[in-house]
Amino acid sequence: MNFRIVGALIAKDFSLFFRNRFFAIMTVVGLIFYLVIYFVMPRAVNEELEIGLYAPVLPPAFEQIQEEGLAIRMAASEDELKEGVIDGDYVAGIVLPPDIIDSFISGQKPTIKAYFAADTPQEIKDAVEVVIKEIAYQQTGQTLAIDTSEEVLGPDLVGKQIPTRDRLRPLLAVLLIIVEALGLANLISEEIEQRTIQALLVTPATAKDLFVAKGITGISLAFVQAVLFMAIVGGMNQQPLIILTALLLGAVLVTGISFIVASLGKDMMSVMAWGIVMLIILFIPAIGIIAPGILTGWVKVIPSYYLVDTVHRASNFGAGWGDIWLNPMILLGLDVVLAWIGILALGRKSR
Amino acid sequence: MSLKRIGFLLGKEVLQGSKTYFFVFAIVAPLVISLMLSLIFGTLFDEKAKLGIVDEGTSQLVAMTRESDSLTTREYGTVSDVQQAVKNGAVDIGIVLPEDFDNSIEQGKETTIKAYVWGESLAKHRIILAVTIANMVRELAGQEAPVEFEAISLGDGVSIPWNERLLPFIVLMAVFLGGLVLPATSVINEKQKRTLEALVVTPTTVGEIFTAKGLVGLVLSLFMGIVILLLNQAFGAEPALLVTVLALGAVMAATIGLLLGAFIKDITTLLAVWKFGGILLFAPAFIYMFPEIPQWIGRIFPTYYVLQPIVEISQWGGGWPAIATNVFILIALDIILIGVVVYALKKKEQYAV
Repeated sequence: MNFRIVGALIAKDFSLFFRNRFFAIMTVVGLIFYLVIYFVMPRAVNEELEIGLYAPVLPPAFEQIQEEGLAIRMAASEDELKEGVIDGDYVAGIVLPPDIIDSFISGQKPTIKAYFAADTPQEIKDAVEVVIKEIAYQQTGQTLAIDTSEEVLGPDLVGKQIPTRDRLRPLLAVLLIIVEALGLANLISEEIEQRTIQALLVTPATAKDLFVAKGITGISLAFVQAVLFMAIVGGMNQQPLIILTALLLGAVLVTGISFIVASLGKDMMSVMAWGIVMLIILFIPAIGIIAPGILTGWVKVIPSYYLVDTVHRASNFGAGWGDIWLNPMILLGLDVVLAWIGILALGRKSR
Repeated sequence: MSLKRIGFLLGKEVLQGSKTYFFVFAIVAPLVISLMLSLIFGTLFDEKAKLGIVDEGTSQLVAMTRESDSLTTREYGTVSDVQQAVKNGAVDIGIVLPEDFDNSIEQGKETTIKAYVWGESLAKHRIILAVTIANMVRELAGQEAPVEFEAISLGDGVSIPWNERLLPFIVLMAVFLGGLVLPATSVINEKQKRTLEALVVTPTTVGEIFTAKGLVGLVLSLFMGIVILLLNQAFGAEPALLVTVLALGAVMAATIGLLLGAFIKDITTLLAVWKFGGILLFAPAFIYMFPEIPQWIGRIFPTYYVLQPIVEISQWGGGWPAIATNVFILIALDIILIGVVVYALKKKEQYAV
C-alpha cells in the first residue's frame, strides 16, 4: 500500500465532496436537523404526580402523606386550584369538603371533588382517584394485611432519571453514522457505474489503495459528524474516551457494511434500496434504548448493538472500561471481518 | 401528448419498475418504519405504568389489573420471567402473588407480595402501581372506599393518545416515501444511465416520460396511504372522501418527486435533499404530535393541507364541510406544482434530460 497515493485519493474524495457545495451544505443542515431534534425533546423527566389540594380542614393523613413520586401542593382557594389545573401546574386539583373529618367520624362517605384539565388522559384520572382513595383508607384507619418485599433491579434512578433527549442521544449519533455510510455506498457505486474506478486502477494506485482511501473518507465523514453531535449535546461529558472509541469503531463498522452494500447493488437504485435495509437493521438496537423491554437477547446478533449499548451506557450511566470492555472488543472483531468481506466483495465487483 | 405512448411507458414502468428491489422496498419500508415509529414514540411518551404479574394460584387480582385503565398488565408464567421483564424494562414493577392469595386476603391473614422494581422506572409509576394494587386488594378484602370521588373537567381540550398523534406522520410517510422518492429516483436513474436521452430521440416527449413516472408514483402513494389507514383502522365514516384526499396528497408527492428528479443529477444529492426536505414535508405531522406548539405554524407547510383533512375525517369523524377549504387549497397547490413541473420541463429541458 502506497500511503502517498492513499493520501492523494482521500484528498480527491474530500475535494469532490466539498466541490458539490449543495451536498456539503445539506450535510451540515442534516447535522443541524439532528441537533434540533435533540434540543426540542424534553430536557427533564417529571417523575412526580403533582396534585393540587384545597382543604379548609386538612385531615392528618393528607397532611402527612410523603410518598416518593407524589407531590401535594396546597392552594389557598378553590379558584386558585382550578387556575393551577388549567395552567398545568398540577395534573389534578382536589377539593376536600370542610366537614370531611366529621363525615369520617360519623361513618358517612364525603364527596371529594377532583378537577382535571379536559385533555388529561383517563389513566391519569384513574391514578389520581386511587391515590386519593388510598389516603382516605389510611385516614379512616383501614389497614391491609399485606406486606411487600421490594427489590430494585438495575441501578435505581429515582430522582436522577435520564431525560428523553439523552435517551435519544445514542440513537441520533448512530443514525448520523449510518446515514453517512449510505452516502459512501452511493459514492462507491457511482464510481463503479461510471467506470472511474477502472480509470484509477490503470494509474499506479492499486485496488487496496483505493478502498483504504474510500474507507478513510467514509470513516472520517461519519466519525467527525457523530463526534461533533455528541460534543454539542453534552454526550462527551462522561467517559469521552470510551465514546470516541465506540464511535470510531462504529464508523469503521458501517464503512465495512457500506462496502458490502455497494458490492451487492447492481446500480445506484439497488444500492440505495439495500442501503436503507441496512439502515433499518442497524437502527433496531437503538430502539431498545428508547423503548426498553421490546427487544430481547436476539438483538445482540445485530452488529450496531455493541455500538449503541456502549454509547448509551457510557454517556447516560457513566459506565467505565471495566463495565463495557467486551463491547469494543466485539466491535473491533466485527470491524475486521466486515471490512475484509467488504473489500473482498468490492474488489471482485470492480474487476 | 400521446395517451397511447404514456400508456406504453406506464406499462414499461410498472413491468420493469416492479421487478426492481426499490419498488418492493417502497412498499415494505413505510410499513416497517411505521411499526418502528409506533414503537419508539408510542413507548417514549406512554404515560401508563406497566405491571408484570406472576400468579402462583388463581387470584382475581390478575383479572382486576387487566381491566384497569390506569395501568398496563402483562402476565408471566414464572418468577424468573417476570424478573427478566423487570430487568429489561418491559414492566415497571413485577409482582408475585402467592398461592391462595385471595383466601388469605379475605380472611385477613398476613400475606407477603414479592415485588421487583425496574431501577429506571419513574417514581410516579411506582406509586400509581402501588396504590392501584393496594386499592384492588382492599376490594378483594371487602373493604369499601370511605369517600365518593367526583371528577370534573375544566376547559375544552381533548386528550389525544399517542397512537393517534402518530397517525398523521405515518400516513404522510407512507404517501410521500414511495410517491415522491420513486419518481425522483426513476428519473435520476434514467438521467445517469442516459436512457432518457435515448427515449427523447424517439417520438416520445419528456412530458410523456414524466407523466408515466409520475403516475406510477401516484398509484403507489395512494395504495400505501390506503394500506396504512386500513392497518391503523382509521378509515372513518367517509372512506370515499378520505381516498379522494389521499389521491390529492399522492398527486402532490408525485409532482414533488418529478421536480426533484428534473433538477437533481444524482442519488447522493437526492439523499442529501431528503435529509433536509423531510423537515418541510413532515413538519405539520410533528407539530400535530405536540399540542403545546402553536398549531397555526403547521399551515405554513404544504403537506398540512393533506394532513388536516385526513385527521379530520379519520380521527374526528368530520365530513366535507369541515375539510372543504383545505381540500380546495390542496387542489390549488397540486395545480401549481403540476404547472411548475410543466414549466420546468419546458424551460429547463437540459436539466431534465
